[in-house]
Formats: sequence, structure tokens, C-alpha cells
Amino acid sequence: MSILAKILTLFRGTANEAGQAVVDKNAIRILDQELRDSTTELAKSKQELTKVMAQRQLSANRGSALLDKRREYEGYVQGALAKGDEALAREVATKLSDVERDLQAEADSVQRLDASIGSLKTAIRDTETQLSRLKQQIDTVKATEAVQRAQSAVSARHSGANSKIGTALDSLERIKLRQEEQGARFEAAQQLENESGDGDLKKRLSQAGLVEDRSNVDGILERFRNPQAVIVDGAATGDPKLLAAESLFDKSK
Amino acid sequence: MPLRTREQLHHALAEAFGAAQVATLDDAEIALQVVLADAGDLEVTLVASEHQIYCSTPLVTAAQVRDRAAFNDACLRLNTVNPLSNLGLATIDGEDVYVVFGELSADSSDPQIVEEIRMLGVNAIDAIELLKPYLVTA
Repeated sequence: MSILAKILTLFRGTANEAGQAVVDKNAIRILDQELRDSTTELAKSKQELTKVMAQRQLSANRGSALLDKRREYEGYVQGALAKGDEALAREVATKLSDVERDLQAEADSVQRLDASIGSLKTAIRDTETQLSRLKQQIDTVKATEAVQRAQSAVSARHSGANSKIGTALDSLERIKLRQEEQGARFEAAQQLENESGDGDLKKRLSQAGLVEDRSNVDGILERFRNPQAVIVDGAATGDPKLLAAESLFDKSK
Repeated sequence: MPLRTREQLHHALAEAFGAAQVATLDDAEIALQVVLADAGDLEVTLVASEHQIYCSTPLVTAAQVRDRAAFNDACLRLNTVNPLSNLGLATIDGEDVYVVFGELSADSSDPQIVEEIRMLGVNAIDAIELLKPYLVTA
């Protein structure tokens, strides 16, 4: 079973046990043990690699010694033949044949060991990647467990034995409630302002026709019924606010 | 070893969220709680371990969900567009609880952690507002 499958099984297993920590200490210990086992295995693989590499080196050393011997014997064979000593040449050639067979054997051995070294290195790299993933997964499981333990502690602190988990839904309701309260407060303040402040008084004065507002509909119609006023420009409105607005936006001035 | 002590983390969070909003939880791990005033006093739990800082906040209890299958579907879809945080399912005190969580590398800066927590609050409130149609109407 892969480690992730084990972790999921642990989650599922504990999910049914009400009131229990999601992943209990034993489960974490099992995972930690697995991690330690893998680490030991990795160390063994590394030792094995060192051993194989040493073997390869020895084999290569033997190979190069045999190569020297082969050159040496080749010289002897040539020398014996040059002297016409057929018997000696044959004797050396027999030895040379042994050397060449050994040389071939060492070459085969080096090739085989190189293949082993290659696959061991790949296996070690894979195990290392898997180990660091495993470490992170265990770390995450531990953190998740700690978070849930903490959240459980928080809810217990809030409401004692009858613990209820405070959720985002509760917060959303609080936000809505606060917004409503704020809205109500704002409305009340506005009403108060209208009743006691200038707003209400001005409105009543204007309704009584006591405040002249030449920008209102009647004022505008009056301006157009009296065209001279329009020619003399904004001044005719007599409203200082409107005059200020005109000088602000009128680019022809 | 974690890159921060509990005290350092507490200090950084208190600076950002106000001392009254941050509490240290009694635990073997480095566990802290931040109450987000801007997010309706949402409680975010923070656990710092060797490799990562894990932030989580309960979204809604499974008991409050009307149609679990439809809710799960909506959560998975929402998850793909949720910035920084993820939606998940956890068991707290034997009760299934949907959570919004985020993970940071342990070597993240203080501002990054603060940003993560704020984002978690915003995402949680956004998510529950969006997912409200799937909940039991009280």
C-alpha cells in the first residue's frame, strides 16, 4: 500500500470514531517508523553502491594490468618469431591467449558493474525523492492534526461542554447583522440631522417661498422669458454657486 | 526546527491584527489563533511545523449542508478559482466540518503569512456567501 493510501485509510478509520483525534499518536508513530525504515534502506543502498563502485575500480585496474601484459606478450611473440624460435613463440602465444581471455572477462565484468551502478543510482535518487515527499506528507498530516486539535480546543473554550464550532457561516451572519445595525444607525442619524439641523429648516423656508432659488424650474423659465438676462451670461442667474461652476468648466473663458 | 519561535510568530501577528485578536493555543506544536475583526470575528487557526505553516478556518459543519453531493461539487468548482486558499473536509471532535485552508512554506516572510490569513478570511466569507443556497435554511 502506498503511503498516501495509508494516510487516507487512517483518516477514514478515525473519522468514524467520534471524539477522537483525527490521526492518533500511534498512527503518526507508524508513519514515522516507515520513514525511518526507508531512510535505513536508503543508507543500505548507498553502501551497496560504494561496494559496487569499488569492485568496478578493482576490475578496471585488473583490466589495465592485463592490457599491459598483453602488449608485453605480443612483443615476446614477435621477438621469438623473428628469431625463428617457433616453440617459444607458441609457448608465449598460449599465455597471451589466457591473458586475452582474462581481459575479455574483466571487460564484461566492468560493463556489468557499470549497469549495476546506473540502476543503483537511479533507485537511490527515486528513494530520496520519495523520502522527501513522505516527510512533507507526514508533516502535513501532523499539522492538520494539530490544527484540528487546536480548533477543537477553541470551540470547547467558547461554549464549554456543549461545544459548537465557530464557522464562516456564523461570521457571515455577524457581518450581515453589523451591516444592518450600521445601516439603521446611519438612517437614524440622517433623520436626526433632518429634524434638528439646517436641512429641514431650509426645506420649509423654500416651501414657504422665503428662500429664492433661481436655479429651480421657475427660476430657469424666468431667465428665458427675459432674454437679455441670458445675453449677459451666467451673471443673470445671480447664483454664486452656479457662477463658480461656470468658471470652473467653461473653457472659452 | 521551525524557522520561527511561537513568540516571534505571535508578535508578528499581533502587529498586524492587534494583540487582543491573537491567542497562543496550548499545544505541543506552534499553534496560534487569530480572530479577524474584518471578517465577522472569523477564527483562523495557525500551526507552524518544520516545513510549513498551515492556516485553517471552519467554513460550515456538514450537518448544516442540505445536499452534500451538490455542495461538494460546488466546492470543487469554487476551489479552482479560489486564490491562495483551498476548500477541504476535516473531522473536528468527531464532526465533519468543511474548512478553508492554506499552506505556506516555513520560510515565508511575516507579510506573506499576514496576507495568507487575510485572504483566508476573505475567501471563507466569499465562499460561504456563494455556497449559502446549498445549506439548510434555518
